[in-house]
Amino acid sequence: MESEETIDRRFDRQTLFRYAAAAGGAGVLAGRTGIADAMRAISTAETGRLQVMDWAGYGNDGGQSMFASYVKTHAANKPQFSYMTNESDALAKLHAGAKPDLFRPYVGWVKYFATSGLVQPWDPSLISNFKHLNPFMVKAGQYGGKQYGIPDDWGFDAILYRTDKVTPKSNSWGLIFDDRYKGKISWFDDLNMITIAGLYLGFKNPWNQTDAQLKQSQDLLIKKKKNVRLIWSSETNLWEAFGSGDIWIAYAWPNDWVQMKKKGLKVAYMRPKEKPVAWVGMFMLLKTSSRPKLAHAYVDAWSSTKSAKWLEDNYGYGHANTLARPASSDLLKALQLTNPRAVTEPNAHLDRDIPRRATYANLWEQVKAS
Amino acid sequence: MTTPGLLGLPVAWLGVFFVAPIVIVALYSFNVYTLFPGPHGFTLDAWRTVAHSGIYRHLFWKSIEMSLIVSISIVVLAYPLAYYLALSGTRRKYVLLLLLIAPFLTSYLLRVLAWKVILGDQGVINSFLVWTHLRSPEHPISQLLYSRFAVMLVLAYIWLPFVALPIFVALENLDQRLLEAAGDLYASRWRAFFAVTLPLSLPGVIAAFFFVFIPTIGEFVTPSLVGGTGGYMYGNQIVDKFGAGFPDWETGSVLALFLIIVVAILTAIFSRFLQPQRVAAE
Repeated sequence: MESEETIDRRFDRQTLFRYAAAAGGAGVLAGRTGIADAMRAISTAETGRLQVMDWAGYGNDGGQSMFASYVKTHAANKPQFSYMTNESDALAKLHAGAKPDLFRPYVGWVKYFATSGLVQPWDPSLISNFKHLNPFMVKAGQYGGKQYGIPDDWGFDAILYRTDKVTPKSNSWGLIFDDRYKGKISWFDDLNMITIAGLYLGFKNPWNQTDAQLKQSQDLLIKKKKNVRLIWSSETNLWEAFGSGDIWIAYAWPNDWVQMKKKGLKVAYMRPKEKPVAWVGMFMLLKTSSRPKLAHAYVDAWSSTKSAKWLEDNYGYGHANTLARPASSDLLKALQLTNPRAVTEPNAHLDRDIPRRATYANLWEQVKAS
Repeated sequence: MTTPGLLGLPVAWLGVFFVAPIVIVALYSFNVYTLFPGPHGFTLDAWRTVAHSGIYRHLFWKSIEMSLIVSISIVVLAYPLAYYLALSGTRRKYVLLLLLIAPFLTSYLLRVLAWKVILGDQGVINSFLVWTHLRSPEHPISQLLYSRFAVMLVLAYIWLPFVALPIFVALENLDQRLLEAAGDLYASRWRAFFAVTLPLSLPGVIAAFFFVFIPTIGEFVTPSLVGGTGGYMYGNQIVDKFGAGFPDWETGSVLALFLIIVVAILTAIFSRFLQPQRVAAE
C-alpha cells in the first residue's frame, strides 16, 4: 500500500498537470474540473468503501443529499455507515475495536478526542468548502493549532415554551425549574443538564465546576425533578409530547420551535439571560483510517453550500457553511444565521470541553435514578 | 446418538452465548477487563461503590416493587381468563386463545406507543373524561402517561399473554377425574377449586409469574417510552452506565451482574414449584 506521503507527492504532480492543462487553453472552468479530477484520482488510490460512524438520520437513512456529490464522484468508495447514539457510545465502540474512517462527535468532545490518541488532524487545504465555514466554529474544532474537527451541523440549547399557557417570570433558564408548571416541563437527557444548572446558579465556569458547585447543581436538579414530566432523548419524543400538550416547557433546539410553530401552537423560543449554549457537530478523522483522502472528499461534500441548505431546509439544524440560507425565515431568525458571531460570546456560550466528564455523567445518572 | 452427543450442541450454545458473556461482564466488574487502555487489575472498587450507594439500592427496590405489582396483578387477571378457556368446555377456546395472543402479531414498539395515544393529556381516556364533564380540559389526569403507573400498565398489557398461556396449559392438563371425584364427595365448586384445581395449576401460575417478573425487573424500553421521570427503572440505569454520558462499564457490569445473581437465586428458590409431579404428589 502506498504511504500517505507518496500519495501527497502524486497529488502535487497531478495538480500541476491539471493546472498546466488549464493554462494550455482549457480555461478557468476546465481548471476547476481538473482540480476535482485530481482530487478524485488521489482519493481513488484508496480502496474500499469509506467507513463512516454517524448519527441516525445522517447516513443512508435520510441524509443521502448531504453526501450525494461524494457518491457521484466516488462510486467505488461509497460510504458504509455504522451508527452512534452519542459520543460515549462512539467512544466505547472505538475502544471495542470499531474502525471507521471518520465519525462525528460534538464540539464539547474535541479536546477529549484530540488528546485521546484516537484521531488525527484534518488537512483543510483538501477541503475546498473549508473557506466558507464559520470561523468561530472552525476555531472551536482546533486543538494545539491543528484542525481536529470540521464543523458541520449546529444549533442552540435554549427554552421552548407555550405562550398561551406559560408566563415566564424572566427570560431565564429558571423556567425549566419553575414550580408553577409542575408536570409540564421537559428536560434533555444529557449531562449538559449539570452545566445548565451551573449556568442558572451563576457559576463562573459551569463546564468545570468545583465539587461544592457540582453538589449544588445536582441538588437543584434532584429538587426540581419533581416538576419534570419527561426527560427527552430524541426530538420525535419531544415533538410528540409537546405537540400533544403533555408538556408546555422544554429544553429544546431551534428546529423544535419551528416544528411546533408549524403545528399551529403558540410558542416562543426564549434566549435566556444566562445565554443559550451552542452545539456544533465536528467531523473527526480516525488515526487508524486507511482512507484519509476519501474522508476529506466526503467532508467536503458535507460542507458544500448546497448540502448545507438542504440540511437547514430538511432537518432544521444550522450548518457551519455561512453562505447557506434556509427557506424558512423562522429558522433563519432562530439560528441568527446572518450573524456568524451568534454562536459565541457575548451572544451564546459555545459548548466546550468538560474536564471531569465522567463525574458529570455519574451525577446526571444519579439525578435520573433519584 | 448418545446423550453427550445430544447435549453437546445446547451446552456449547449456552457456554458461548450465555456463560461466556456473563464471565466477561464479571471481569469488567472487577476491573480485570477495561474499556480504556492503561493499567488495570483486580479490584472491588465498583462493587463497593454500588454497595454503598443509596441511589442504586433505591432504584433496585423500586424496580422490584414495580415488577411485583405487574406480575401479581396480571396473574390474578389472567387466571380467570385461562380458567374459562381451559375448563368451561367452550368449543371456541382455541379461537379465543388465538385472539388473546393476537397482539403478538404486531411489533412490541407499536403496542407500547399505542398507549401514548390512549393515556396522553389529550388522549382517549382524558378526552372521554372531558366529554363526560368528569374533568375539565385544563385539568386532565396527567399521571396516566409518563409515570410509574404508565410503565406498570403497559408492562401488564404486554406480558398478559405470557401469563395466560402457562396457566392455560396447566389447567388443560388437569386430570378431570379429580374434579369429578371432588364432586362425588360433595365438595362445593369453590372447595373443589381451592382443594384441587388451584394446587394442581400452581406450577403454571408460578411459571407464569416468573415469566413476567424476571424480564420486567431489568426492563428499560417501556420505561424509556412511557415512564417519564417517575418510571425510570434499574434497567435504564444499566443502559445509561454502558452507553450514555461517559462509559462506565465497571459500574454497569456490577449492576447487571447483581441483577443476574438476584434472578438466579429467585429462580432456584421457586424452581421446585415448576415441577408438577412434586406438587401433585404433595
